[in-house]
Amino acid sequence: MKYLSTIKQYILYVLVLALVFGSCKAGNGRGTHKKVAVIVSTLNNPWFVVLAQTAAAQARALGYDTKIFDSQNNTAVEADNFENAISAGYNAILFNPTDADGSVSNVLEAKAAGIPVFCMDREVNSVDAATSQILSDNYSGCVAIGKYFVEKLHKHGKYAELLGLVGDNNTWNRSKGFHSVVDFFPGLTMVAQQSADFDRNKAMEVMESILQAHPDIDAVFCGNDAMASGAYQALVAAGKANDVKVFGFDGAQDVIESIQNKKIVATGMQFPKVMAKTAANYAGEYFKGKRDFPKKMPVAVELVTQENVSDYTGYGKKD
Amino acid sequence: MGRKVFKYLIIAVAVVLLAYNSVYFKKLDEVKAERAANTFNAASYAQNFWNKKLTPALHSAIAVDKLIPSLDSDPKQAFDSWSHALGIGNLRYFLIKGSGTVAAVDSDDITVSMAGMAGQKIKIATEYIFGNAARDATGLININDFSRTMDFNNVSAEINAIIRKKVLPLLKRAKVGDSISFTGAIELNKEHLNLSQIEAVPVAVNILPQKL
Repeated sequence: MKYLSTIKQYILYVLVLALVFGSCKAGNGRGTHKKVAVIVSTLNNPWFVVLAQTAAAQARALGYDTKIFDSQNNTAVEADNFENAISAGYNAILFNPTDADGSVSNVLEAKAAGIPVFCMDREVNSVDAATSQILSDNYSGCVAIGKYFVEKLHKHGKYAELLGLVGDNNTWNRSKGFHSVVDFFPGLTMVAQQSADFDRNKAMEVMESILQAHPDIDAVFCGNDAMASGAYQALVAAGKANDVKVFGFDGAQDVIESIQNKKIVATGMQFPKVMAKTAANYAGEYFKGKRDFPKKMPVAVELVTQENVSDYTGYGKKD
Repeated sequence: MGRKVFKYLIIAVAVVLLAYNSVYFKKLDEVKAERAANTFNAASYAQNFWNKKLTPALHSAIAVDKLIPSLDSDPKQAFDSWSHALGIGNLRYFLIKGSGTVAAVDSDDITVSMAGMAGQKIKIATEYIFGNAARDATGLININDFSRTMDFNNVSAEINAIIRKKVLPLLKRAKVGDSISFTGAIELNKEHLNLSQIEAVPVAVNILPQKL
């Protein structure tokens, strides 16, 4: 009887130990099977859907469990997503921030929990918060657009600029790149510079009001393709689509088609799939022990014009 | 009474100590100097890069008459051997050298007929000195030298400013028929290679006027 009781006691100890170690493994996910969270600013924009889905697919292809968290362009939702990812035991976060400043605390929280964060496409304003930031080379892409813009306008004319969200670093990197070229040419005069928040409808409204004040502009440079499409719509409505040259940035499918149809002059092709795959690969390398990642890794942006558009498709090159 | 005075004295000392340790005075010059010391100086970095890295690396430029045939026959091998870029993607940069005869002088560039390469022409930019070609072509800049995105963008702009100041005045004296040797940086797209419109950003040039 006493012998049976001792055996029962041993079984109980073993069960308790199994429960404790088992729950630890499931709880913190730091076991051999790794989990990668993809936290994206919004899934309400096809560009970011491509970014998030490619990151998740690449992480899965490397053998990791993945889940996509949608921050709905809201820093508070993003903070919840980070808390959930940390408590659910994710081992790495592939991150597209909602706000360069507002997202820093979330990245630092993950860092404090020992979880590496790899930023994709948008950066956070901190040198050492993220493990690495893989970003479109917006500035250089807009240098190329600026050069083509000057050539197409033969160094003379009036133009307007539609900016993206004024709190977003990409907005200013693009604008600075463009002006680093265009401002060298005194024959080119910027008559209006307004934000349209990267939004197509807002761009249409802003463009309408710019055209009322400056009906004689020769070109408009837009900080993304959604705004380029909105600006083009406003020009069509005003009967000026053939007089005003429209330049965008992104490489969205509808703008690639507009370039093919000679409606829009040029755009800068970003490569969300390259950024997403690189971020997932970096997470894999981190798991294998690598720590010396570049703090910023620029991804080249390519100029797409009516001359070379046949080489491209939306969000990348033709295979 | 004595205890009350002592109590007020302790409070007063505590307040003074707190106030003293809460407020610091510094000379404005010192604060400005400190801030300047912590700010990345792109112009200084670019000048140092020009003097200590780019100029000594000019001899290692790949000769145009070797590069073009290699790009024709085995582009991957040519890109792997001689191209560089600070980031990732299809745009890569080469440091090239060559010589020939000035075939045309236009407002934005001069066209050089390359010596020993029948029909091969290279344009040398004289107006559009922009982009990362001169910064990246040697492969001698380390991306980890930069913590802010704008820092490495500004380095490109400053290197291009040096070219405008030091190299363009020489190039603008070129006339059709002059002999020219040059070292420059070019950008090529490794996925969609176009060898018919190569344009070099000049880094060093030597022009021998045509004998009349």
